[in-house]
Amino acid sequence: MTARRSPTGRSARLAAGVFVCALAAGCASFFPQTVALRDARPADLPQRAEIAGTPFFPQEDYQCGPAALATLLVHSGAKVTPAQLVPEVYLPERQGSLQVEMLAAARRHGRVSYVLAPQLEDLLRELASGNPVIVLQNQGLGPFEKWHYAVAFGYDLEAGELVLRSATTERQVLPFPVHEYVWKKSGYWAMVALPPDRIAATAAEARWLAALASLERTGDPRIARTGYETFLKRWPENVGGAIGLANAHYALGELAQAEGVLRDAARREPGSVVVLNNLAQTLSDLGRNDEALALIERAVAAGGPFAPAARETRDLILSRKSSPGRSGQK
Amino acid sequence: MNSAMTRTICHVLIVLMAWMPVHFAQAGIISTDQVVASAAQAERAAVLGLVSRSDIAGQLQALGLDPQTAKDRVAALSDDEVRSLAGKLDALPAGADGSALVVLILIGVLVWYFFFRK
Repeated sequence: MTARRSPTGRSARLAAGVFVCALAAGCASFFPQTVALRDARPADLPQRAEIAGTPFFPQEDYQCGPAALATLLVHSGAKVTPAQLVPEVYLPERQGSLQVEMLAAARRHGRVSYVLAPQLEDLLRELASGNPVIVLQNQGLGPFEKWHYAVAFGYDLEAGELVLRSATTERQVLPFPVHEYVWKKSGYWAMVALPPDRIAATAAEARWLAALASLERTGDPRIARTGYETFLKRWPENVGGAIGLANAHYALGELAQAEGVLRDAARREPGSVVVLNNLAQTLSDLGRNDEALALIERAVAAGGPFAPAARETRDLILSRKSSPGRSGQK
Repeated sequence: MNSAMTRTICHVLIVLMAWMPVHFAQAGIISTDQVVASAAQAERAAVLGLVSRSDIAGQLQALGLDPQTAKDRVAALSDDEVRSLAGKLDALPAGADGSALVVLILIGVLVWYFFFRK
């Protein structure tokens, strides 16, 4: 009897082994980031984190966009309710909210909105730094799509779990594989929204600058100024950041400060048409058209995509020189 | 056909006029937005920027927004974001309600116990 059972047992074990291997291989392709994190845990990532005091707004029908956004904004100190955000992000005919409008609405409330790199590790690093993260999930199966925004606010590496505020659930605990499965279909889309005096834990220099430029474009220049000052403390060599700070000063009428920032930038990058152009415009506004003209001639001579703008500035300076009464201070 | 064309032209002009103050507020200064975009993108933005913004505002109206709200919401978008919407408003994900996680959680928990925890 035992003699007969042994080979059967062995082949059963073999079959089971093959099945487990196939399952593991299959799973690895289903949850690549979970597997990568399990196999190589970053040493500097805390074992667990949970952001205390993360607000909770149980959503009404279809309105997880406004609710998720309100969670981030209120956590960052803004005074806003999901109801106030509905007209800013909700699209009635789609019965939902678009990703770019989530980003834009956060900026309308003076926050830097930033899309994270599509990595589970980056998501966890933001949580460890105290920044709640909106994730876009697709909870549908197969061809059925069911898009949903949830707010991650904690995790436990040992247990392999993410903690979220989701719809009417105040504390949803999702195992990493489940989270990755629903998150993957959105291309691992995740965003943070931070006040301008902070920088996301996983921020990349160029993309953070772009986020600030978008904020500056529509927002209050004082907020943009704070954003660029913070940016330049972290990346002091970045000429784009200096241009942004100078533009914010200029928009606020702080021409002397704008000049100072641009002169610094011009020392570091003497050939930048944008720096020369904006410095010339600023000096001309200060009534120093001769200095301005010398600079703008250099900008025009340098050429490039901003040459037409530089030529316009030169025309303006020349016209101000020829009728000095109209340019004001001299 | 003539009146349809007139209407289209009026529509475009109204939207263009609505955008004027935003785009020409600082004549001589080159904006940070332009600097951040690469040179090629900046050129494309100059050509496509205004037109696609008015298009998107119109499409948002068709999806249930009033004209003023649609205009405000497009104004809050960056040029890149506007381009990302062009022609895709009906297809892009729109996050809405969430439930139906039950089956997934069951599958997930099984996988997790047998796999992640080893």
